[in-house]
Amino acid sequence: MADEATLLAELKQAVIDGDEVAAVRAATEVAVAGADPQKAIMEGLAAGMIEMGKLYEEGECYVPELMVSSEALYAGLDILKPLVTASAGGPQKVGVVVIGAVQGDIHDIGKNLVKMMLEVSGFEMHDLGRDVEMERFIDEVQRTDADLLCLSALMTTTIIAIKDYLPQFRAAFPRTKIMIGGAALSQHLADEWGVDGYGENAMEAARVALRLMGRG
Amino acid sequence: MLCDQMTSRERWDALVRGEPLDRVPCLQFMLGHAAVVNGKPIAKVYDDAATSLACQLNAMDLYGHDGLILHGWANAGGAEFGGVVEYPYRKYTGAPMMKANPVQSEEDAWNLRVPDDITTAGTIPIALEFSRLEAEAGLPVTLQVGSPLTWAGSVCGEERLAVWMIKKPDLVHNVLRVVTAFILQKTDHWVKEFSAERLFAFDLCIETTKLYSPKQFATFGFPYLKEVHDHLTAGGVGIVMSHICGEQNKNLPLWSQLSYGRRGLISVGKEVPLQIAHEAFPACVIMGNVDPVAVQEATPEELAALCRDCIEEGKDHPGGYALMTGCEVPPQAPPVNVGQMVAACRRYGRY
Repeated sequence: MADEATLLAELKQAVIDGDEVAAVRAATEVAVAGADPQKAIMEGLAAGMIEMGKLYEEGECYVPELMVSSEALYAGLDILKPLVTASAGGPQKVGVVVIGAVQGDIHDIGKNLVKMMLEVSGFEMHDLGRDVEMERFIDEVQRTDADLLCLSALMTTTIIAIKDYLPQFRAAFPRTKIMIGGAALSQHLADEWGVDGYGENAMEAARVALRLMGRG
Repeated sequence: MLCDQMTSRERWDALVRGEPLDRVPCLQFMLGHAAVVNGKPIAKVYDDAATSLACQLNAMDLYGHDGLILHGWANAGGAEFGGVVEYPYRKYTGAPMMKANPVQSEEDAWNLRVPDDITTAGTIPIALEFSRLEAEAGLPVTLQVGSPLTWAGSVCGEERLAVWMIKKPDLVHNVLRVVTAFILQKTDHWVKEFSAERLFAFDLCIETTKLYSPKQFATFGFPYLKEVHDHLTAGGVGIVMSHICGEQNKNLPLWSQLSYGRRGLISVGKEVPLQIAHEAFPACVIMGNVDPVAVQEATPEELAALCRDCIEEGKDHPGGYALMTGCEVPPQAPPVNVGQMVAACRRYGRY
C-alpha cells in the first residue's frame, strides 16, 4: 500500500492525465488505507484540476483536455465524497452555489467547467443545467438558501433575460451574491449592472467566488 | 446625411467583382433581428422560408444595408442526421437549438450514415425552398456548407465530441467524414439545381480556441474544411464566405490556405483584429468586426464611434472591406443602434 503523499500525487496526476482508471485505483487505495478523504479530494483530485485550469489559462490545454480531466476527477470523487459525508462533521464547504445557463441558452460547456472548479474549491453545487427558466433560479436559491447565484449566458438574447431578472433576484435574496459569466458577458456589463462578480474563465470564476465568500 | 451613389445591389455586385465602390458597404447577418423588426416570431426566419426572405428583404430596405440574405445558423447539422431542433419561439431564445443530438453513443457515431435522400433530411427542405425563392427574386443563391467540425458538434454534442477528440479520435474522424460527405452531396445538389455561377456558399465556424486548440483545429477542422472548399471551387462556385467566429487568431494560418474561388469573403469577430485579418487574407473581402454585444447594449454614440474605428482600420484593405457585426446582429438590438452602422458607412466610409 502506497503512503499518503504518494496517493495524493497519484490522484493529482490521474486528473492531469485524464486517466479515469488511475483515479479510481488511487481513490480506492485511499479508502482501503483509511486515509483522510477530504485531504485526498483537495490535495489530490482538486489540485490536479487546478493545475489543469492554470494550463488552460496559459493556453497550454483546451476544453477537450479539461473535459477528459473532469471525467477522471468525478470518477475519483464518486469514491471519495461518500466517505467525507460519512465522516464526522461531513464535508467542509465554503458556500452554497446555485448555477445554470439561463433561459434560451443551451451552451453549457463553460458553465460545467465553472461548476467543476467551484466544486473542487469546496463549494456545495446545485446545478440546474441549461436553458433554465428564470423562476427556477429563484425557487432553487430559496430552497438551498444559496450564498452565490452563478448565471451563464453565451447568447445576446440571454443577456436580456439576466437584466430582466436581476432586480427580482436582488429583492428576493439580498444576502446572496450574484456572479455572471459566458461569452456574451463581460466585466464591463457586470460593473454596469452592479452584480457582485464576473469570471472570464472557470479558473477566474473560482477565484472571484472564493473572494466573495471572504476566502480569497 | 451624405447620399449614396450606388444602390445596395450595385454595391454588392461591385464588391464581389472587386470594382470601385462609392463607400464602405455594410453587410449583416441579420436573421432574428429581421424577424423582430417585422413583428414576427424569431423562429419564422428559420422555419418558414418565404417569411424569412420577406423579413430579411424588408429589414434590408429599412436599414439600407447591402446584404447578406441567407438561411442558416451556427448550430446546424444535427437535424439532418435525425436530431431534434427547437426553433426559437420561446421567450429569450434567439436561434434554433439542438434539443437532442442524433449521436448519443459510440455505436451511434460508428453507425452514422448520410441519409438516402439529402433533400428531405432535417431542415434541408426549408433551406432548399429559401434558395429557390432567392433564385426567383434574382438574388445570389445561398448555400450553407458547415463547417464540418461545427456540424459534428451539433451531431454529437460539443462536450461528447471534445472528450472523443482525446479518447476516440478515430470516432471523431468517422463522424467528420460522414458530415463532410453530406455537405458535398448538398453542394452537388445545389450546383445541379441552381448552377455554380449563381451560388454564394458560406460556412459558419465556431472552432474557436476557447474550445479547441490550434492543433485540434489542424487535425479535426482544417482537413475537412479544405475538402469542402476545394469541392466548391473545383465545381465552379465563385463566391465563398467563411464566418470565423470568436477567438481564432492562431487558426488563421490554416484558414488562409483554403480556396475561396473568384471572391472570398471573410467575416471575423471582435477577437480578430482587422489588420491581422487583412494580412492573412490579402485578396479577400474582410467583414467585421463590431462587437455584437455593443450593438445591443451600447449607446448610439458609443456604437457610432466603434463603427468609425472599424471603418478607418478596414476601408483601405486591398481585398475589400465591409462593415459588419462580429457575429449575428442581436435579435433584440435597438433599431437605432443597428441603423448607426449604415450611417457610419455613409459618414466615415466614402471612397
